[in-house]
Amino acid sequence: MNAKHDDNASDQDFLSAWMKTAGDLWGNMFRVWSDAAATFQPSDASSSDASGHVQISLDAVLKSWQVMSSTMARPEVTDSLLKGAGTTPDILMKMAQSSLAGFLEFLQKWFERAGRIGKSTEAYTFEDLDKNAFRAWTEIYEKEFRQFFHIPQLGLTRFYQEKLHRTLDKFNLFQAATGEFFRLLYLPMTKSFSVIQEKLGQLSEAGELPEDSKQYYQMWIKILEGHYMTLFQSAEYIETLAKTMDALAEFSAAKNDLLQDLLNALPVSTQKDMDDLYHEIYLLKKRIKALEKKLDRNPKKAAG
Amino acid sequence: MGEPKIPVDLILSKLVEDADKARARAHKASDVLLGPLDSEIATTPYEVVHQEDRVRLKHYIPVTDIKYNTPLLVVYALINRETMLDLQPGRSVVETLLAHGVDLYMIDWGYPTRKDRFLTIDDHVNGYMDTMVNFIRQKHNLKKINLMGICMGGTFCVIYSALNPGKIKNLITTVTPTNFDTDKGLLHVWMKAVDPDRLTDTFGNISGDVMNFGFLLLNPARLMIDKYVGFFENMDNKKFVENFIRMEKWIFDSPDLPGETFRQFIKDFYQKNLLIQSKLEVGGKRVDLKNISMPLINFYGKYDHLVPPEACELLTGCVGSQDATDVCLETGHIGIYVSSKCQAEFAPRIAAWLAERDAPEQKTRKKKSAALKKSTTKAAKKTKSSRRPRKHARRTGQ
Repeated sequence: MNAKHDDNASDQDFLSAWMKTAGDLWGNMFRVWSDAAATFQPSDASSSDASGHVQISLDAVLKSWQVMSSTMARPEVTDSLLKGAGTTPDILMKMAQSSLAGFLEFLQKWFERAGRIGKSTEAYTFEDLDKNAFRAWTEIYEKEFRQFFHIPQLGLTRFYQEKLHRTLDKFNLFQAATGEFFRLLYLPMTKSFSVIQEKLGQLSEAGELPEDSKQYYQMWIKILEGHYMTLFQSAEYIETLAKTMDALAEFSAAKNDLLQDLLNALPVSTQKDMDDLYHEIYLLKKRIKALEKKLDRNPKKAAG
Repeated sequence: MGEPKIPVDLILSKLVEDADKARARAHKASDVLLGPLDSEIATTPYEVVHQEDRVRLKHYIPVTDIKYNTPLLVVYALINRETMLDLQPGRSVVETLLAHGVDLYMIDWGYPTRKDRFLTIDDHVNGYMDTMVNFIRQKHNLKKINLMGICMGGTFCVIYSALNPGKIKNLITTVTPTNFDTDKGLLHVWMKAVDPDRLTDTFGNISGDVMNFGFLLLNPARLMIDKYVGFFENMDNKKFVENFIRMEKWIFDSPDLPGETFRQFIKDFYQKNLLIQSKLEVGGKRVDLKNISMPLINFYGKYDHLVPPEACELLTGCVGSQDATDVCLETGHIGIYVSSKCQAEFAPRIAAWLAERDAPEQKTRKKKSAALKKSTTKAAKKTKSSRRPRKHARRTGQ
């Protein structure tokens, strides 16, 4: 206990001494600087007005510093400061605990959402990963993650943040749609390989395997073509095609909207500006052509 | 289950043989590909006689005396380029028509840019097309000219002829979609699911590359694999390589499609099928197919996967003309113009058909005798070229 008290007392003495030394040092520094400034002071009135304001400001700063350092150097204040210093780690710890709790809660929500992934994809069962992976991912994304891009944005830049989030959201949806689309496009390939294998097996058993390698290719390309024709007329393909094109259009629109803002900050015309101009020119030309027709200014007459 | 009988030795020896051939072919192919190649397209000389914005009117320099009273204006689609009609000497619709003495004009739609995004079908048909038709009429001092349309350009020609029957003497439609209510062509199926508003509002114009990708997807096995396998198998053949490159140059030369035109074409044609029902409105006027009273010949391909026969063949039964003929050729969408087989069947037939209907305008005013002549021609044609007896019977009231 005594030892602790002694430690505290020596800390207090050290802090008071340091405060006094620092106060004296900076006080002297200010004084030297202001004396030097006075030496180089120009003689004209306007300059002396300006330097006078500076001098007043410096004096005010000096006084404030002296008051503050002498106050801080008082034993009761240093004692309080040291006590405060002892409690700082506690405060920091509490703050850290609170932040950590918030972060853990956030993580837990993500884990909960991730945990729901299994439930979301239950219907597909992942028996055929290739077939369902893209759809499953789209569903997971739409149900569990997409909402993060829809968190209301605050502050001066909220519109720009919203646009950025919308672009990211549309990009994710576009990625999912193209994944599904190309998965479908690849299906006839895999199917054609298995069909040709089966067919070759049958031919082999019947002893009718062609000797010419080109015939194997011809067989395969015909099967492939047939599978593509079947796929392209299927409702699933048509729906996926439409979805992909919509997703591409939506992503492009969101991206353009974002870029438009960036371009607005530059001294260049944006596409929207140009489109407005094109539209006006289009309407003007249409009116001129209609008037020309009315005046019967045909090409021959105009040329003449 | 018996032992599989696989002639492994034969297959292997054949594979070795193929590998040797491939090596020899690759060696020769390097000479072909590194050497000079004539792969120019659209080499038939022409002059640009009129231009409005990006749209140019080409007039082909005659190679023989003009044998027709009425010039012919060809209108290509807004998708891809009109160079397909003049792909190479010996396989050129332009060349054949010129050789027959046709005075030939063609619209070159050019390359639409972003500023063209607001151009509608009305602007193309009642604007640019009308300007070009008027230019030719005035240049030749004629009331009417002949009009020929390719694919979407044919659809434009149908609309134009219905709105301006007084300016068109004979109408030729080739692989022209007019009935969109069919699920025979994949485009017709897919376009019903597409949202044109979203695409047009987002992209402005529809990119030619995107459209080309869509066309490749119509048959990826053939168009993205087999076609290039065929190229590798023949890349030591200079003529083959030159022709192949010509076709590649044409097929991937794809201008963008003006957004508003795309929007209307998908909505009013593919999704609502308004044209064939005479319910379409262009420039505030209804397009009544019954107004198409001039002679009409309608070509289409039996194996066309883009514009199937079902999309083309209803037209002749819906127009007001008493002289309307369907011609179904045993080929595909492009084969009509470029296949060796159709070179003798397609353009020469157009030249002959026009020659039969090339009477000077004064004679066509004798309504009674002309009508009699038309009905006789029609009756004769039905037995000769009609592949659709039911429809023709309906048209003639038989």
